[in-house]
Amino acid sequence: MSSFDVQQPVVELPDQNPDPDFSDEELVWTSEEEAQIAAWKDQYPEDQAAIMKVLWLAQEKFGYLAPEVIQLCGDTLDMTFTQAYGVATFYHQYFKEEKGTYVFDVCTCFTCQVCGGYDILHYLEEKLGIHAGETTDDEMFTIQEAECLGACGSAPMMEITNGVYVHNLTPEKIDDLVESLRAGEVPSFTSMTLPQDEEELDGNRRTDVENTETYQTQPRGEHME
Amino acid sequence: MDTNGMPQSPAGDWRSYERMLLPPIQDLHELNVYEEHGGYDRLRRVLEDDEFAPGDVTDAVKASGLTGRGGAGFPTGIKWTFMPEPDDRPRFIGVNADESEPGTFKDRQVMEYNPHLMLEGILLAGYALHIDTAYVYIRGEYTDWIVHLKKQLQKAYEAGYVGEDIMGSGFTMDIVLHKGAGAYICGEETSLMESLEGKRGYPRYKPPFPAQSGIFGSPTTINNAETLAHVPLIVEQGGEAYSNIGAGDMPGPALYGMSGHVKKPGVYEFPTGMPLTDLIHDVCGGMARDKAMKAFVPGGSSTPPIRAENIDGLTMNDESLGEVGSRTGTFCPLVLDEETDMVSFLRRVAHFYQDETCGQCTPCREGTSWLEKILARIDEGEGRMRDIDLLLELCDNMDGGRTICAFADGAVGPVRATVKRFRDEFAAKCQASVHPVSTDVSAGAESAVAATE
Repeated sequence: MSSFDVQQPVVELPDQNPDPDFSDEELVWTSEEEAQIAAWKDQYPEDQAAIMKVLWLAQEKFGYLAPEVIQLCGDTLDMTFTQAYGVATFYHQYFKEEKGTYVFDVCTCFTCQVCGGYDILHYLEEKLGIHAGETTDDEMFTIQEAECLGACGSAPMMEITNGVYVHNLTPEKIDDLVESLRAGEVPSFTSMTLPQDEEELDGNRRTDVENTETYQTQPRGEHME
Repeated sequence: MDTNGMPQSPAGDWRSYERMLLPPIQDLHELNVYEEHGGYDRLRRVLEDDEFAPGDVTDAVKASGLTGRGGAGFPTGIKWTFMPEPDDRPRFIGVNADESEPGTFKDRQVMEYNPHLMLEGILLAGYALHIDTAYVYIRGEYTDWIVHLKKQLQKAYEAGYVGEDIMGSGFTMDIVLHKGAGAYICGEETSLMESLEGKRGYPRYKPPFPAQSGIFGSPTTINNAETLAHVPLIVEQGGEAYSNIGAGDMPGPALYGMSGHVKKPGVYEFPTGMPLTDLIHDVCGGMARDKAMKAFVPGGSSTPPIRAENIDGLTMNDESLGEVGSRTGTFCPLVLDEETDMVSFLRRVAHFYQDETCGQCTPCREGTSWLEKILARIDEGEGRMRDIDLLLELCDNMDGGRTICAFADGAVGPVRATVKRFRDEFAAKCQASVHPVSTDVSAGAESAVAATE
């Protein structure tokens, strides 16, 4: 008999009334944040349109979007909880549960796949001792498998906590990265040199960026051999 | 150029092509450098010259034959003429910089290296269509580029190129950056509008089309970010001259985002209609590790892959790629070498669509998930021969107007084409599993037989 099981696992429904993680005293906007939200409201004909920006703000402030945080965002813009919750759950980048300090979004979409993205993911999983979707015990790192992040020329690559891109990954690069993140050093923005510029501009198109890197094709991943 | 008696390609003499979208100028993203190189002159000319009516910009874009660079390739000038006459409603332009099509990474380069060209294009489009607000929808992953663009936009505001009464002409336009949060479907125009309105990004029924009832029910045009960066070039050169660049059916320069197994991947600017073999061997320096090529995916995941033996003589334009049942898509080709496992490649493509479907329409929500399940079964070596036809049958039940948007068509295109064109690989994986699976499934039927003994 086939050992391959196409049946879905039984999904356990989440706790319908969880204890809130944030107290009412914490769930307030500062005056600067309120001014910022007011400015965002002015950019759109309807207040509701600012919800994505407010959710981003809340995620930066609270770390993740607990139901009570989503409620706060909805109240700010006169939206019902359901409307705000619907938006928060539609998009991948809003964290609905607590994550590690650094979230590794490792791209494994097919361009990265054929350039060894899964090897990078598996190397990272073994290094940190967790699977994709999990967080380390010290709550430092979360690994996630991401869909195409739009840096296919520099595959395999990943994004750190919805922020900086790290290109052309190799196991050595991951070792350095994890070490520097443990020391609290987040890598800075890296500008990718366009191949046509290498001849004409010596690769340096932007003088205001310290880090430039050229595209390179990685050796094919082991799992593909 | 020495053509060696070969017919001239639509891209013409591409080796001596001078770049227009990303010219080799250092720090072009800085406003003062951009101004030194004729930046915002096109806008000034259009605004100050009384002979340049808004309709003339639209006419120039129409004459240029510019097609959308976001994947669908719809003629931009014709799209603009769909906008109704101005009434008391506000009018919007949505700039689609969502760029989530897998394999595509070109709009990011425009935003990073030549953001003011894009902003100037937005302003010209706004002037042509009597639009007062532009929303630039950028995917949430591009945080660094959003920060960068915000800084440059701020400078443009301070210099008086954006905002109220631009250059004293009475034309007023605001540009607002809108950060997405990681949803592929928001690159679909009606979904983008929903997302902008602060809702779940579910695509809308068409009609009403965006030009009639778009963002907040007002007339709206949605254009790709790169497409709008072409508009200043068209105004500068004139529609006629622009239409002579590159292939006749989709003229102009294009950003080719080369990725996969080539020696020098990256974004290159050349005219449309580049010969595929020139792109791979001359532009990108050939195949990585000097392997032979197996497949060529012309522009993003939803364009059907082409077998390597069929690419000779093909050029990067819809007319030419249409002969082998493919299309240009986003002009970002992926090159796959002979060692690529097409089944596992397609399984990952299907996983992408399964992950990104918005779940609104049943054929797409259920279909994409079944596509992935069946492909996973074949890839794991447990497939049956009839699974291959089951895949094709499933495809027939998903596309062709059974869903609100074209997402299902995008998911089905690569599956159908890959299964048909690489059927032997799918069959080999199915045959190996007639017997209990050995550890060495890929060795074929022989090893499977041994495993039963």
